[in-house]
Amino acid sequence: MAKIILNNQEVETREGIPVLQAALESGLNVPHYCYHPGLSVVASCRLCLMEMKMPHPKTGELGWAPKLMPSCQTPVRDGMEVRFDSDKVNENQERCMEFFLLNHPLDCPICDQAGECHLQDYSYNFGKSESRMVDQKHVTPKKDIGPKTLLYSDRCVMCSRCVRFCDEVAGTSELCITNRGSRAEIDVFPGKPLDNPMQGNVVDICPVGCLLDKDFLFEQRVWFLKSADSICTGCSTGCSIRIDQNEDHVHRLKPRFNPRVNQWWICDEGRFGFKYIHDKTRLTQLKLRRGESLESLRWESLAETVQYRFENVAKKQTDKKIAVVMSPFMACEEAWLLVKSIREVAPEATLILGPVPTVEQDQRFPAGATNGDTKFIIRKEKCPNRKGIELIIKHFGGNSESFEAFVEQAGKGEFVAAWISGGYPTEWVSKDFAKASGKIPLKVVHDLFPSALTEDATLIAPACSFAERDGSFINATDIVQPFARAIKPPQGCKRDGQFLFELAELEGLFQAANVREMMAAEIKEFENVYVPPQLPEHQH
Amino acid sequence: MSDYETVLLKNVGKPNSQRLATYVEGGGYSGAKRALEHTPDDVIDVVKRANLRGRGGAGFPAGVKWSFLPKDREVTYLCVNADESEPPTFSNRVLMEEDPHQLLEGILIAGYATQATVAYLYMRAEFAEQYHIMQVALDEAYEAGYFGKNILGSGYNLECYIHRGAGAYVCGEETGLIESLEGKRGWPRIKPPFPAIQGAFGKPTVVNNVETLANLPHIVNRGADWFLGIGPEGSSGPKLFCISGAVNKPGCYEGAMDFSVRELIESDRFGGGMRDGLKVKAVMPGGISMGILTADELDMKMDFADPAKYGLLGLGTASAIVVDDQTDIRKVLRNVARFFSHESCGQCTQCREGTSWMYKMSNRVERGLGRMEDIELLGEIPAKMGMMPGLSICGLSDGAAFAIRTIVEKFRSELEGYVRSENDDAVRIALEIAN
Amino acid sequence: MAWKAIDRVNAPAEESPSLSEPLKEKIRGFFDRYPTKRAVLIPALHMIQDDHGYVGWKAMEEVAELLEITASDVFDTVSFYSHFWTHPKGEKVVMACRSVSCDLLGADRVLDECKKVLGIGDHETTPDGKYSLMTEECLAACDHGPCLMVNEKMHKCVNPADVRKIIKDDANDKLDMPRSSLYDGANRTSA
Repeated sequence: MAKIILNNQEVETREGIPVLQAALESGLNVPHYCYHPGLSVVASCRLCLMEMKMPHPKTGELGWAPKLMPSCQTPVRDGMEVRFDSDKVNENQERCMEFFLLNHPLDCPICDQAGECHLQDYSYNFGKSESRMVDQKHVTPKKDIGPKTLLYSDRCVMCSRCVRFCDEVAGTSELCITNRGSRAEIDVFPGKPLDNPMQGNVVDICPVGCLLDKDFLFEQRVWFLKSADSICTGCSTGCSIRIDQNEDHVHRLKPRFNPRVNQWWICDEGRFGFKYIHDKTRLTQLKLRRGESLESLRWESLAETVQYRFENVAKKQTDKKIAVVMSPFMACEEAWLLVKSIREVAPEATLILGPVPTVEQDQRFPAGATNGDTKFIIRKEKCPNRKGIELIIKHFGGNSESFEAFVEQAGKGEFVAAWISGGYPTEWVSKDFAKASGKIPLKVVHDLFPSALTEDATLIAPACSFAERDGSFINATDIVQPFARAIKPPQGCKRDGQFLFELAELEGLFQAANVREMMAAEIKEFENVYVPPQLPEHQH
Repeated sequence: MSDYETVLLKNVGKPNSQRLATYVEGGGYSGAKRALEHTPDDVIDVVKRANLRGRGGAGFPAGVKWSFLPKDREVTYLCVNADESEPPTFSNRVLMEEDPHQLLEGILIAGYATQATVAYLYMRAEFAEQYHIMQVALDEAYEAGYFGKNILGSGYNLECYIHRGAGAYVCGEETGLIESLEGKRGWPRIKPPFPAIQGAFGKPTVVNNVETLANLPHIVNRGADWFLGIGPEGSSGPKLFCISGAVNKPGCYEGAMDFSVRELIESDRFGGGMRDGLKVKAVMPGGISMGILTADELDMKMDFADPAKYGLLGLGTASAIVVDDQTDIRKVLRNVARFFSHESCGQCTQCREGTSWMYKMSNRVERGLGRMEDIELLGEIPAKMGMMPGLSICGLSDGAAFAIRTIVEKFRSELEGYVRSENDDAVRIALEIAN
Repeated sequence: MAWKAIDRVNAPAEESPSLSEPLKEKIRGFFDRYPTKRAVLIPALHMIQDDHGYVGWKAMEEVAELLEITASDVFDTVSFYSHFWTHPKGEKVVMACRSVSCDLLGADRVLDECKKVLGIGDHETTPDGKYSLMTEECLAACDHGPCLMVNEKMHKCVNPADVRKIIKDDANDKLDMPRSSLYDGANRTSA
């Protein structure tokens, strides 16, 4: 703990952090480009300069030092006094902004960054309205630097964040700076494009419109976008993300700061892995099989239908088993509600964790990092909530089975009924499972996409994607993290949480937080849900 | 101006002055031998007492710089700054070309004093001939046991390598030099940490200029008092001065720091007066980075203290370019602005953008397309850039600022006169075309 | 076309020379001079330029491999320094000093004359591949301005009228002096 005097006010902060960070955390809008808390300090944009009190070299008397100091490079020391509100500091900010815009093309009307651009914001807050340079601007080229990224050099402010990201976080060093002076540019080695699994972050940390996401290029003006805080479902790391949508169409995912999980970053797999949610082939209708044909069922009738049928087989066919298969894409709340409802009518029901999609190994960053110096992990487990589902299964106790055993037993005709929740973004029903499931006479398939299961399902309940749901996941490091819905589900769908809430015969509307409260009464893990702190307003 | 015994350049003009034998015959390497008989701290002490101020431009006392090295260090690097790129400076060139062993002896002494394990002689790429001379001399010195293992039986080991630059002024800045030595772009580092703590390859490092090191054999041999006896207080010791431009005898000369710019130009010992009956219009007495003097300011003393009184940044490299009265000051302005715009490394905003903007304007002003606003801006922009006001990482932008600002301030009426006589329509049309 | 993006995803089509084994060996010979391999980069680039005449894309990739750094690191460093050419240059490079000293003594006229005689502009190469021209900020020979350097050889106090004679002289880059056997740094035309 340290106390400093910032703009004449005492501020409590932490010893040793950059003064700039302390100032931002205190709510001050200090303009900065090159400083990023997740990267090394280069102090080159010279925009965050401040005045600092220092002892006079001869008299030892404390006074404002004649030199401005870079606040990003100066660590907090208890008792220090600094200011950002003096004429000297403001003048430097104004001058810097004029410099940044000298050769800038001012093409905001066609720039994707417009609206969330720190060149715009800072010019408005700290700059001049006009450039005094009448000479021709220096024009640098646009470059196609990778499969996912474009670089418009003429908009660059040479903060070098992107280069440092590739060196220090991704560890792949594709980006470099070429030339020098005002001719300096960001570049890649020709034929060695920016193509690491985390490269999308360079677009996020670019404070201006220089680095652009091809996927988002000219998609939306950012001021039309509305955001929701969510959790990435791409792997068990559980990165905090922000879903940006307009008119119920998701346009992009952005990382959200989470000091315990992903810091400021996300990987491309997660970032660009949301496209399936707008896939036209998704299941959108609640259907019930009557004889050979599938007929629409009203959502209001779902609970009754399921309860009646499951209760029926549970009572009549006591020699056979009933399964509840829950995919690791389900939220904890959904799984809890589902088990609760099914066990109500079929107390012996066997609880099964659905298949856990896994690749060979974790990917650690910086590339080649070992335990100690790891800054980011893309985990091999390609689902968000294995641990959550396992916890729910353990909590309810009673019968449970591994998925493999379930498939084997189902193949032998041991199961008379099953509720199967999928929700996987890709094809997940193996041939074996498809074959075995044919032996289950009563089958409720709750899933995103048609599959072999839906071909002979008794009841098809369309699932919602993560962007359409609320709930919580438990990530690989046992952190319970809530996520919120961003968009409405497609016409015909009902939020999983809501219909499971109704299935569990609970009154009113499904609210993930309320359900968690009920769960917490039984399962202590849900007492603490981790919501990462907001970044200071002016941090970027 | 006192009588002066030539020290640093005493071998210049001797036949085979580059050979080891010639150097040793004239007493060479005796300073190093003497140093090796004492402790490193003794050597630091004598250099500190002599108050040998760095000859590279900043004038920081070498002995003090050495004493910043941490006590418990295991590896120390010595970088010799031979990236002499400040126009119009060529004293290091003369030292290396004419008397390479004097520098090598200085390196050995500095290496011993700092307990360096490796010395890197960072030499600018433009020094081709000088490189061959230095490398041949270094081979000779190795052969004779002045470098390598167990030097002269003292138990001290020092390797010395020549590292050639590749054309970048900013690599003359000590941390730019270190980055370049490490194989990177020569972007100066933020300080702290200072090189003495964390320099080349992350290890304690000392960077010294060629001329600074060339002084060491003489200090060790003759003592601090001898050194302090030369020149005025605070500016003691032998010093090299370069003079070029419209004088009769352009060249590199040696003296004490006890004479004026006027004497540097007029004295037969130095510039030998203006050539062809030309008159002095202006002088940049310390390399272009230090700023300019008018013909009325020639009484400035060529020492460490006086330049500041004339609005200059410092003594710099003590290399004067004399601008004659037939020269258009706009040509000087444009040339200087171009230099800094070309050599700015591009790291700090003010320097990167400011230098290129000033070049654009001064280029236009020289072509007769200037505006009064340009003169105003050329005065204003440099007033707000540089390390001195804390706005940049290294001193390059201070150099740009002082050079351009002093030209604009001191020759404002001439510049304004040109602008006033211009055809306003031509200026307007030119700017319209530009945009 | 300003709106068109330069393709950096695909490797450039033009061919450029590879590092020969002896050249690689020469570069490796510098490894024990420095605590890191990367520090050998600038000496290596000099050696490559001496051997190939320039530092091409292929050479950059291969030296990166040799020094265990990325090709982009090499590109970064190469492009920072004005002495490295990333495209083929002439056998001889005429470097015209344009520092303030030389400028005031008529360097601009010398440079113009060079352009006229060679028929090329700054950083260009004659069609026969014999000469390239570049400007220098300061050759540190201000006492003898205006200066021209042809490869390693300095020509001092050059008048515009001398330029033609200097360029016509086949020995204009011959520097006859003792050289070390360690690393001569010699340009291939004058070695």
